[in-house]
Amino acid sequence: MKNVVFYFEVHQPRRLRTYRLNEIGRNHDYFWESKNKEIFQRAADRCYIPTTRLFIKKGIRASFSLSGTFIEQALEYRPEVIEVFKEYFSSGLGELIAETYYHSLASIWDRDEFKEQVREQERVLRDIFKIKPVTFRNTELIYSDTISDYVSSLGYRNILAEGTEQLISAHSPNFVYRSPSKLNLFLRNFRLSDDISFRFSNWGWNEYPLTADKYARWIDDSPGDLANLFMDYETFGEHQVAETGIFGFLERLPIELKERNIKMLTVNEAAEMFEKREVISIKELISWADTNRDTSPWLGNDMQKEAFSEMQKLRDNGNRSLWRHLQTSDIVYYMSTGTSPDQIVHEYFNPYKSPYYAFLSYMSILEDFRREYVKNST
Amino acid sequence: MKIGVIGWELPPAFSGGLGIHTINLFSIISKFAEVEVYIPKMSMLYPSYPFKVKLVPLTYNGMKGNYELQVPDFNQAVMEYNQKVVDAFDADGTSVIHCHDWITFNAGIELKERYGIPLVVTVHSTEIDRSGNFYPQKWIMDIEREGMRHADHIIAVSDYTRRLVIDTYGISPDKIATIHNGLGKHFYLLPPKNYDLSGNVLYFGRVTMQKGPKFFIEAAKKVADKIHDVRFIVAGTGEQVEELKFLARTLSIERNVIFTGFVGLSEAIRYYRTSDVFVLPAVSEPFGITVLEAMSSGTPAIISTTTGVGEALKNVLKTDFWDTDLIADYIIGTLKFRSLRSTLGAVGQIEAKRFTWEESALETMEVYSSL
Repeated sequence: MKNVVFYFEVHQPRRLRTYRLNEIGRNHDYFWESKNKEIFQRAADRCYIPTTRLFIKKGIRASFSLSGTFIEQALEYRPEVIEVFKEYFSSGLGELIAETYYHSLASIWDRDEFKEQVREQERVLRDIFKIKPVTFRNTELIYSDTISDYVSSLGYRNILAEGTEQLISAHSPNFVYRSPSKLNLFLRNFRLSDDISFRFSNWGWNEYPLTADKYARWIDDSPGDLANLFMDYETFGEHQVAETGIFGFLERLPIELKERNIKMLTVNEAAEMFEKREVISIKELISWADTNRDTSPWLGNDMQKEAFSEMQKLRDNGNRSLWRHLQTSDIVYYMSTGTSPDQIVHEYFNPYKSPYYAFLSYMSILEDFRREYVKNST
Repeated sequence: MKIGVIGWELPPAFSGGLGIHTINLFSIISKFAEVEVYIPKMSMLYPSYPFKVKLVPLTYNGMKGNYELQVPDFNQAVMEYNQKVVDAFDADGTSVIHCHDWITFNAGIELKERYGIPLVVTVHSTEIDRSGNFYPQKWIMDIEREGMRHADHIIAVSDYTRRLVIDTYGISPDKIATIHNGLGKHFYLLPPKNYDLSGNVLYFGRVTMQKGPKFFIEAAKKVADKIHDVRFIVAGTGEQVEELKFLARTLSIERNVIFTGFVGLSEAIRYYRTSDVFVLPAVSEPFGITVLEAMSSGTPAIISTTTGVGEALKNVLKTDFWDTDLIADYIIGTLKFRSLRSTLGAVGQIEAKRFTWEESALETMEVYSSL
């Protein structure tokens, strides 16, 4: 392959604090300000600022989605992060990709709600970065034909999805496909992506240590048009801390790619460059999360389903923005009880350390919200 | 290899978890080594056991009710027992002496000195735990400390207890292993639970300061103020029953609180299975096998942070034992949300079943072979 498409998810939720029963009706401040600030500052220092600067310096082309809740917190806690991203996009290296402002699950329960949240995100991208996106990436790569229909009707050209085991057994992830809704469909190459995001610092991996030279060679040796390398941006400096050598790898990679005439493309550049393969229909919901690659990390157990459905019941309310912040997918993700290998990943991200405390706090918050903002409630 | 075990009781008689521990652990170990278990001679025994049982007659030893040991003067009986075990002990070919709690430590020390056989002691509970850290008796702590000092290796039933042995008794961490207890066989066979609301909130254990039943009643009051028609079941016996009945009356919740008296195993399972949530607000609980029993019955558990088994559990709700506001919050949460009951219950049921006596026996054998 002579092309790679880097795409990075840049997202921080506004985490909810531990909220006790006796606060219902008395305290309407739900967010865990100190934790959110601490996590944001740490990620800014370790990842957002140094990695983006490195991208600018080394001329790394990539596509990014910056969730609305991420942008809000950046503006509040660390405006420098927005400045460095502005610099990156104005240099012409990157493509900015759309999603729902709240990084929510709206796509799987309500088309109108989904649309409004996408429009809100588009407004923010326009106001801050003066960019109108043409590519869409739904929350954690949650995807189905229905969702791609919604996205297509909102005027997008390209969409990203997970190249699940089942999909790639029939369709190599290394080509551009079409969705039934006529979007250009990009499938994540999970093997090559996870080599960096999960395995990079794994001493037990037989390819450890991963060098830029070796990685570029793997790409070069793979058949197809392009390698879709999609991952969390926090891979650089946060999940894989600086001590693992991840930044050295990143600095070296563009040189190794160039030596093999491998080009870095943004999603839309790739969409324009390659001939589209067959139409792929995906009826069931898929995602890039956990081992099942479905929506079970968010709606796998009874608590998550009850919490999700309670949130929906509060739709007619006097504080849409707050209600939508309560839809951020991370909130129900923290309630996951998963299967044991995934549980380790969940715990890594869970600020409460227990799915049950996350559930109890959320349900109390919803109750308070109902009393405070939903008309005709008792 | 022959193991000389100095015990105190064996099922069907039991006052706490010691007898259950002894029979479960040594039925397995006896498949790999010769085991001789010494206990005071008592009237209620099974016709045979998977290991050799050596009965030590005491001057007076009776039974209270069907299953509880009764001696007129407990401390005197302990002293007499320890002396008589030393006399009755068959040292020939014995490679390890394994003692259980302070009630057997003096004999262990004496036997080790007399025969030079290595001594292992298991700490199931300490005087600090049993007193609820409220006027612990110094002379008992002295015996505990002596036993721990003389032991070649100590087994603590949790890291919680291990830390206590290090910090309070000043024992070197190098010779203390943590080996968790296992779950009884009955509990592996229980099917998934029905999570319809029953309105029962269960405390099950000895009704004594150490286990924190008072905090259960205080939390019950806070729950009853918000939700009516909840039954708070105090299952078990102990010296605090009358005090707690009085407390329930004082708090005007006597109609909501049910004191069952002594509860046997099959009845206990019925209580676990018909309760929405199990609560153990123990002040200091070295392990807490009832937590695993409740969980393996499919029942959500609320436990104190000072309950040893909690250190190895993810699927429980944890609070400080004194934080009756939070205990009440958790009880209300489990009563209010079916999904919390079903998720916590079902995931917890699987988690509890990881605690097996086979694992405990294996780790105990490793201690023996390290000597």
